[in-house]
Amino acid sequence: MSTPTSNGKAPLSTPPSKPVDILQTQPSLLYSNLHPILLLSILLFSFKTLVRDPVNTLLGLAPTVTILQALYCVLCLPSTNQAPAPPQKPGQKKKQAKPAQDAWAKAVPAFLSLLLTLFLSTPILYITLILFGAPLTTHQPHTILLALHFALLTTPQLYYAHGLEAQAWYKIVSLQLPVDELVGMSLGACMGAWVGAIPIPLDWDREWQKWPVTIVAGMYGGAVVGKFVGGYVCRGWRIKLS
Amino acid sequence: MANDGGISRSGASSEERADNEKQLSVQFKAQHAIVVAFFLLILTLNALALYLFCSGFLLSRLVLPNRSQCALPPVELLNGHTPGSHDRGCWHPKTFDKAVIILVDALRYDFTVPFQPQPGDEQPHHFHNALPVLYETAVQSPGNAFLRPFIADPPTTTLQRLKGLTTGSLPTLIDAGSNFAGTAIDEDNLIEQLYLAGKKVVHLGDDTWHSLFPGYFEPNLTRPYDSFNVWDLHTLDNGVNEHMFPLLEPEMAGRWDVLIGHYLGVDHAGHRYGPDHPAMTDKLQQMDRVFRSMIERLDDSTLLVVMGDHGMDAKGDHGGESDDEVEAALWMYSKKGVFGRSDPAFAEPPATAKVRPVGQIDLVPTLALLLGIPIPFNNLGQPIEEAFIGKKGADYKNMAEVSRLTAHQIHGYQGEYAKARNLDESATSSTQQLWRMAGQTWDEAVQSRNSADGAWKKAYQVYKAYEDENLRLCKNLWARFDLNSMMMGIIALVGTFAVIVMYAQSIQGDRAGLTPALLLHGLVGMSCGVVGAMLGKGGAGNTMQLAAFGAVAGPVVTMSIAFFRAREGLRVPYPRTFWGGLCFLSTLLLCIGFAANSFTIWEDEILLFLLTTFGVAMLASSLGQADSTDRNFGAANSLSFLAATRLSSLSRLCREEQMPYCVSTYYASALSSTSAGWQTLIPFVVALALPSILRYHYVRTKNFQGSAVIWIALALRIALVLTAAFWVLNAADDGDWYPSIPKATLKSSRTVLAQIVLAIAAAAGYSTYIWSPPLLLVRTEEPSSSSTPSTTSTSKPITPNHPTGGAILTTINPTPSTPRPKLLILGYANTHGTRYLLLPLIYLPALLLVQKPMGQGALALCTISILNVLEVLDACNLRRSPLGPVLLGIMGCFYFFKTGHQAALSTIQWETAFIPLKTIRYPWSPILITLNTFGPQILCAIAVPAVAMWKVPPKSPGLLGRIAGAMATHLLFYAAITVATVVEAAWLRRHLMLYRVFMPRMLMAGVVVLVVEVIGAVVAVGGVRWSVQSVAGVFGWAEG
Repeated sequence: MSTPTSNGKAPLSTPPSKPVDILQTQPSLLYSNLHPILLLSILLFSFKTLVRDPVNTLLGLAPTVTILQALYCVLCLPSTNQAPAPPQKPGQKKKQAKPAQDAWAKAVPAFLSLLLTLFLSTPILYITLILFGAPLTTHQPHTILLALHFALLTTPQLYYAHGLEAQAWYKIVSLQLPVDELVGMSLGACMGAWVGAIPIPLDWDREWQKWPVTIVAGMYGGAVVGKFVGGYVCRGWRIKLS
Repeated sequence: MANDGGISRSGASSEERADNEKQLSVQFKAQHAIVVAFFLLILTLNALALYLFCSGFLLSRLVLPNRSQCALPPVELLNGHTPGSHDRGCWHPKTFDKAVIILVDALRYDFTVPFQPQPGDEQPHHFHNALPVLYETAVQSPGNAFLRPFIADPPTTTLQRLKGLTTGSLPTLIDAGSNFAGTAIDEDNLIEQLYLAGKKVVHLGDDTWHSLFPGYFEPNLTRPYDSFNVWDLHTLDNGVNEHMFPLLEPEMAGRWDVLIGHYLGVDHAGHRYGPDHPAMTDKLQQMDRVFRSMIERLDDSTLLVVMGDHGMDAKGDHGGESDDEVEAALWMYSKKGVFGRSDPAFAEPPATAKVRPVGQIDLVPTLALLLGIPIPFNNLGQPIEEAFIGKKGADYKNMAEVSRLTAHQIHGYQGEYAKARNLDESATSSTQQLWRMAGQTWDEAVQSRNSADGAWKKAYQVYKAYEDENLRLCKNLWARFDLNSMMMGIIALVGTFAVIVMYAQSIQGDRAGLTPALLLHGLVGMSCGVVGAMLGKGGAGNTMQLAAFGAVAGPVVTMSIAFFRAREGLRVPYPRTFWGGLCFLSTLLLCIGFAANSFTIWEDEILLFLLTTFGVAMLASSLGQADSTDRNFGAANSLSFLAATRLSSLSRLCREEQMPYCVSTYYASALSSTSAGWQTLIPFVVALALPSILRYHYVRTKNFQGSAVIWIALALRIALVLTAAFWVLNAADDGDWYPSIPKATLKSSRTVLAQIVLAIAAAAGYSTYIWSPPLLLVRTEEPSSSSTPSTTSTSKPITPNHPTGGAILTTINPTPSTPRPKLLILGYANTHGTRYLLLPLIYLPALLLVQKPMGQGALALCTISILNVLEVLDACNLRRSPLGPVLLGIMGCFYFFKTGHQAALSTIQWETAFIPLKTIRYPWSPILITLNTFGPQILCAIAVPAVAMWKVPPKSPGLLGRIAGAMATHLLFYAAITVATVVEAAWLRRHLMLYRVFMPRMLMAGVVVLVVEVIGAVVAVGGVRWSVQSVAGVFGWAEG
């Protein structure tokens, strides 16, 4: 007995995508392994000040994380081969990539990825945080900075590797891409942030329970774990939202 | 399927087909009845299991039938007083002949003392400094009056308090819920003792007294008033005044001995407006005037007592055990000047209720000894110092005597109680020591005849220590749980839960086909279980409990056998898909969370978090759909779901434990229980927008036809506008917007409005639902010459979910050569779904009416979310996943909090009972309160079958089984929460927060699961019958 309604309800049927490989160069491999350590260590080093003064600490950390993520994109990731980050000039850059302006060709998409992270991902993630119950009338700087860090951890690498093409992003958000480092890191950060919300209501009266410390910690921890799991353990797996 | 379209064609087999149709119809009705019966069986099992658990968990105290006798004091008297005379005092010389006892319901202690500015609370509130007479008299003439905090033993419901105030015993939880119908007190109490002493007791006010003490009051003078009309602040109080003051005139002095007046205005003002409202000031000032004129009229031999039976919380409600709820006030006054203070520092009444409080049960021995009647046999209270210490504050001999009498009465009671309950001595060893010591001290004091007060003071103190220790012990003793019965209840609950799990998630084939066997096994098991329990009962144990346990264990065992027999078609129920996993994880996390008081307290925020998680996941899934219509529509509905959820989360009613991290928005202010003015606009917005949104979803699949037009565009809108008008009238009454219009007119006109809304929902709604044909439009079109007949001969919808694909083309004339007229059926794609959805929509006006304006907004958003969920389930083709039913369960819980409720007794909106009625009427009043309290859960439960029916083809085989599966999955969610909270409440039974947090949540889970099971079986699954029948009437029955 088949329901006729099931016709054409399959997931997006564009050609199957492959997990993204990181560049197999020496600096790339080195930094790829160093990256999670750096992310985790800046959080650990600033945890006390984060608890004491979340806004200023998050603000102060943001440039560092931005640089770390930019380095990760430039050093380790292949730039998008289907469509570069800014969709309006697709042909231009491929030609430019041939000469020895390789570094330049990488810096531009990395820069654009970060711009998109700041002006597109951050507002979207801010709204998401509010939807999940973040305070609406108080703690605005906290939530905005949390959204910024959230965006920095989850999206620049995806913009860099997959561009801004609608079909690709439909696949990304519906988790139809095969698991790799990038997806693992983004998904890990999301799940970490989700888990990070759990201790907030507990009546332990600890300083670190205050908004948004636990979420930041969960996010960073999740991103690092996710990157490892996505890159090594579950590489190539496909998550099915069904 | 032989005849795809279901449109009967003329042919040789038409008769045969008609026969077949009839057979299928009968088969459906039978299967349907069996499925409903199966759900009722599950309901019975859960109800019995909860009964078993609660009978062991809700504490009970044995009521002893013994009575204290006037002529038989508990101990030999040594002061020369001859016992047995009512004229001089039974056990002790009496102080007063007569008494006026005034009970001001919910008179909190801080209402009676001057306002004390505190950091963060510098300005007096409306309830401050409005009733100064008690404090003034106590300060100005300490010999005539004293005022002390008067601590209630929770639960702080009036009925429980009256029992405590007259028997002197501690309340037990088993009675906590019987506020609706009080039953006569059958243990020794003050009223009965007064009656037996030949005193004429007159009662005026709250009629609860009459159900507690039937026949003890002077019939000619007594005036009971309906106690439950929370909306009415003045009728009762004015009535009490009107009848009380004539009795205080000297010529009426012989007609009564004890006058009891019970004022409810303060309590009602609290319930209706909250304490911080001008109405409360007015009420307290009125009370002030009343007491002043009472003082004027009082004669010398009469004692005047004014007390509160409990306090009220910040919103004016009560029932729980927070400080504000238990701190009442006690004031005694007499013109004789007999009261004293043992310490000059006590001259001024305590500034707060935390200082020198007395227990409410202490009133019992105090009044008994002052009026010269025996102390009731079950009393645990002790005499209040001020009343016996003498005017100079040093009469320790008298103090020691009354204390000794009371201690002996308590000791006698303890002995009888231990005998009746077969308790051993060790349970009371700590009091035994004090008891012996008290005896020795007393003897010493007696022997040193002319000693100073020192020896008497010591004796008094030791007796008091004994009484204190005894009370502490009793509080512990009666916090004893019946572990056997709790264990049986838990086993029964878990067993029932397992059956629901198997039924909901394990059956792979046709669920409806397996149900008869399950039902049969269950019923056989039930009778076997009961008989087995009776036969196996070896004399020990409670018969009722064993029978109940047998009645659950039997069916669980036999249904397991039935499942085992059908094991071919079963699979192990564990989550197999992403959605199954997410549902499982959310439910599991919630269940685990209920073991922590923090997670229980913050449940509303946690549910928002979970719902948003589901919303985001649905958005992601929608965006992954290949078909762009599905993608966009699914995403739009997911976004709408997210927005509606977050928007409704702004409606909050904080519980006390959430402070200071929570701001209540449900009422005008945190200290009020009326809606703000702007909130009365919400119902109008709902009336304007909701029908249009519903219409949009119906129009999209071309199902906005026939009854849908009448109901959604007309009846629902009218009902919603009337609802909005009702709440405007109510706000006008609350806020005195039109002082020229009499209150009675406002009240009766809005009552009529409410009745009309309910009539529309019940009568017009149900008749629409039962007799409506499917919401289709059938149209014949003349063929165009260039049509392609071969492709239109199929009845399969071309793209059934495409917004324009709601039409289906069928040929009526099978001859292939000639051009044929086409039969166009508009609304084919969602025949079942739209037809069934009328059912929740007819309940909607009734559910909205009983909510406060803010709650109506939340419930309307809930309705929109339900539609969003249905559309996303279709767009992502998830209607067979557990997602829909579980999500609806979480939504039911979430919107419970968004309609101004919390898992605490004090947030029950009792005043709902008076929306369409002027007085309490059974069974309507409890039904209305249920509709108000569990409205969201009810709405979501009724929507559950729509999950399985939304946009399925008219002839879907196995539809009934899938509906039953969806409903069982929905119940599974609630049953899981019930099992978790019950087990956790049992585990945490010694936890500090048990009565504040865990037990209310457990009781709520138990009541919710039963309500949802009733609604699910009778209304939802029961209602499927008419919907499916009407669709089958057009398209024919699906086989199998």
